[in-house]
Amino acid sequence: MRTITLGALPAEGGTRKRVVTVGGETAMPFMRFEGEIPNPPVVAIEIKDRKPEDWSPLLIETWEDVIDDPAKWAAAAEAAGADLIVLALSLPNRNGEPTTPDEAVASVKAVLSATGLPLIVFGPGQAEADNTLLVAVSEATKGERLALGICEDKNYRTIVATAMANGHLVTARTPMDVNLAKQLNILISDMGLPLDRILMDPTTGALGYGIEYGFSVMERLRLAALQGDKMTQLPMIVTPGFEAWKAKESKVGEGVPKAWGDWLNRAINWETLTAMTLVESGADIVVLRHPESLKRVKSAIDELMAAKAFVS
Amino acid sequence: MANYKVTFNHKAEPVVVKSGTLITEAARLAGIEINQPCGGQGRCGRCVVQVTEGKVRQRSTLRLSSEDIGLGYCLACQSVIEGDLSVLVPEQEKVERRLVTDRTAVEVEPLPGYSPEYHQSLRRYFLDIAQPNYEDQTDDLSRLQKHLRVALGFEQVEIPVTLIKKISSAFREGNWQVTVYLDISSGEDGISLIRLVDIVPHHCENDNPIWGAAIDIGTTTVTLWLVDLWTGFVHAQVSEYNAQIRRGEDVISRIIYADKEGGLQELQQLIVGTINQLVELACKRVKDYTVTPEQILKVTVAANTTMMHLFLGVPPSYIRLAPFIPTFNQAPLVRAQEIGLHVNPNAIVDCLPGVASYVGADITAGVLSAGVDDTDKLTLFLDVGTNGEMVLGSKEWLVTCACSAGPAFEGAGVRDGMRATTGAIEEVWIHSETYEPTYRVIGGGKPHGICGSGLISLLAELFMTGVIDKAGNLNTSLSTPRIREGEHGMEYVVAWGKETVHGRDIAITRVDIDNLLRAKAAIYAGFIVLAQSVGVPLEETEQVLIGGSFGKYLNIEKSIQIGLLPDLPWEKFNFLGNTAVKGAYFALLSQENRERIREIASKMTYIELSADNTFYEAFMSAMFLPHTDINRFPSVMEAIQSVKVPIQS
Repeated sequence: MRTITLGALPAEGGTRKRVVTVGGETAMPFMRFEGEIPNPPVVAIEIKDRKPEDWSPLLIETWEDVIDDPAKWAAAAEAAGADLIVLALSLPNRNGEPTTPDEAVASVKAVLSATGLPLIVFGPGQAEADNTLLVAVSEATKGERLALGICEDKNYRTIVATAMANGHLVTARTPMDVNLAKQLNILISDMGLPLDRILMDPTTGALGYGIEYGFSVMERLRLAALQGDKMTQLPMIVTPGFEAWKAKESKVGEGVPKAWGDWLNRAINWETLTAMTLVESGADIVVLRHPESLKRVKSAIDELMAAKAFVS
Repeated sequence: MANYKVTFNHKAEPVVVKSGTLITEAARLAGIEINQPCGGQGRCGRCVVQVTEGKVRQRSTLRLSSEDIGLGYCLACQSVIEGDLSVLVPEQEKVERRLVTDRTAVEVEPLPGYSPEYHQSLRRYFLDIAQPNYEDQTDDLSRLQKHLRVALGFEQVEIPVTLIKKISSAFREGNWQVTVYLDISSGEDGISLIRLVDIVPHHCENDNPIWGAAIDIGTTTVTLWLVDLWTGFVHAQVSEYNAQIRRGEDVISRIIYADKEGGLQELQQLIVGTINQLVELACKRVKDYTVTPEQILKVTVAANTTMMHLFLGVPPSYIRLAPFIPTFNQAPLVRAQEIGLHVNPNAIVDCLPGVASYVGADITAGVLSAGVDDTDKLTLFLDVGTNGEMVLGSKEWLVTCACSAGPAFEGAGVRDGMRATTGAIEEVWIHSETYEPTYRVIGGGKPHGICGSGLISLLAELFMTGVIDKAGNLNTSLSTPRIREGEHGMEYVVAWGKETVHGRDIAITRVDIDNLLRAKAAIYAGFIVLAQSVGVPLEETEQVLIGGSFGKYLNIEKSIQIGLLPDLPWEKFNFLGNTAVKGAYFALLSQENRERIREIASKMTYIELSADNTFYEAFMSAMFLPHTDINRFPSVMEAIQSVKVPIQS
């Protein structure tokens, strides 16, 4: 697996206090008796540039004090133990108008100054807006080694070009298919972006919502990579937080069977189990939303890395 | 710098050029236009000239055989003049190098060694019937039967009521001289079944043609050859889109439609209607004789299994449902009037045998005409149609599978697609710096649309010049007005309205590109699965035989560049045109060939891809240009590297 570093220290032309390196594995996840796992999986916290409208009330409550200020939110996430921050830009801004490039740049800069962690920036998920906002962000943060996303096979050129020009990385998302993942990596590297600046996002489903499929695709990608397929040797980023908090089990508090138990606890379990399943299938970066899930996932990763049974 | 004299085509006056000049530039000075569709990039090989005296430095010899290079052939756009030269510019290939099935017949060699007396099941006999009188009160039918028995030795002749009706008048009108047509098909058990096909008054001229038709019913295209069974000569070749298209583009949607009330009858009428039109058209096309549809006495039909069911009006429902069992693979002989075919009402209609639900008589006939069952070479036979069927094997064994490619390569399901007929763009070259296309139109006139081979050529050029990426996305950052936002998303304009027959722009859209990608991916994936299933490595294939409705032209190099065909040396490929109708023609003429098709059908092993989980993987992998695994296409990888593709944002 390739090794990829997110974020740049001042000496490298950035402003980060620390960088995060992922990848470099020569074995299946945690199978240290077979090879090296130089960089354990890391956990990112997803924040928004403004108070999200469609997030679970449980999450809104958790981040209540910081949720309308991306800088404070980022700082809180760092304090909660995140390895890196994912800032997802919104399509409409606070006033219900399209987010402008200036606003996007302001949010990103605010986050960068509030935290020393590396940053991943996702556009709103609509091709035109993604391209406009990410180009502005990319140019304004030249040299920071951000990861810009999300590149998809129908819309990747602009994001890749601006990442190339400004020393950033990209994330490349494909819908749960080994071949599609490879194809997008080829398309991006055909433009001249080196493979060690691409994170692949093979997409996943939440626990109970197709995670087996996501698991299997990631496992096959990793197996192909270990067998020498260059186009699959890229570290993987997945968004279990986004997926898990869409599931009914996390989203709905009322009118569900009693046996389902406490809502908050259930939701955190859902996010944690989704994330851990993906970590076990080869994820290098998992993007979460709740600080408690973050804590549990990080501790599980630590324990797995420490486990003597996995060392030769 | 030294000056050199260059003489073209033995003209008296040489032109004088500086050392380092290209032959193309020298030719222009000499007033000779050498075609350079690829813009002088050394990619297309269309500017080949022969240097008869003197030497040149060749930057590239792509597409030239070592033999040709030895004879002094070189690419004019890649050859630098470094001395006095004498150059021959070969005549440009005739623009109409393809003779379209619809207009001018493809040259078909009559079956070698064909002898109607020996091979043909349809026979003509001139009878002199003993006249009845007061002593001989035998009825006319018995009189005919007796004559057939005594004079010809035919014991049991099937005579339908419709022909019984004609006997008395034929006897008397011809003054007891009649011509009868009998079909003597030997059955599987060797016992001949003799059927009376027609009886007409008088003895006709002995060398009058006996008309028969060979038909291929494709999901998208129907082709008919009108044949003189006496000489074996093909007098007309016509084809037309299957009128069923308006009820669904592929076999599955046709089957679903057939399940609706009245759907089966409608589809049956539509296909018979298409064939009836083709019969009339073919009769009109015959130059040397006046032919009426009623003179056609024997019809041989190749078709995929679903089309055969619909043609006979048999419900095809279970073809679609696991485990995919058709009602029949081998239908009995029927008479034309039973299915509404407007040829002679009693004409024998012979539906050739298929193998399985998705490998029909079009493939068994194709295997016959391509000779796959008769070769020592490990052969891959592909029939590129709406269903891509393929056969791998030799005379020892044959395996086959089918995959749904869609009608894109037949020019359907693509906005400006058309059949391979006059007015179709069949080849495209794109300049790798200006992105301007050069195209060739069948018939040489203005273009009307793009046919399958044109689409393959276009897709390859778009890819090789970087107009589209490996996923088929148009590169919107290139500065050319030809890439634009159209009604159906992004598109590339191949011909502006002022160049076309209808005054509208001819373009290829993103949706079209996706259709083509799916079609080529399905076919390539089928090949991969087939080869895997018998454990034969791809490179061991000794020849690749390709059939399909491409008309007469298919560019192998372009087909490899888009990943439709495996990356094997070009000389291993042969393009055979419509192999199904050719096989039907062989079977129409010769009982031996008809029997061989039966053997082919029974000996082929069928692999059902829907029961094979490797197919989807292979398909997704092939949904890329040329393929996700570029190592499968070394020649394309090399070609991409040799064309400089600018990196654009």
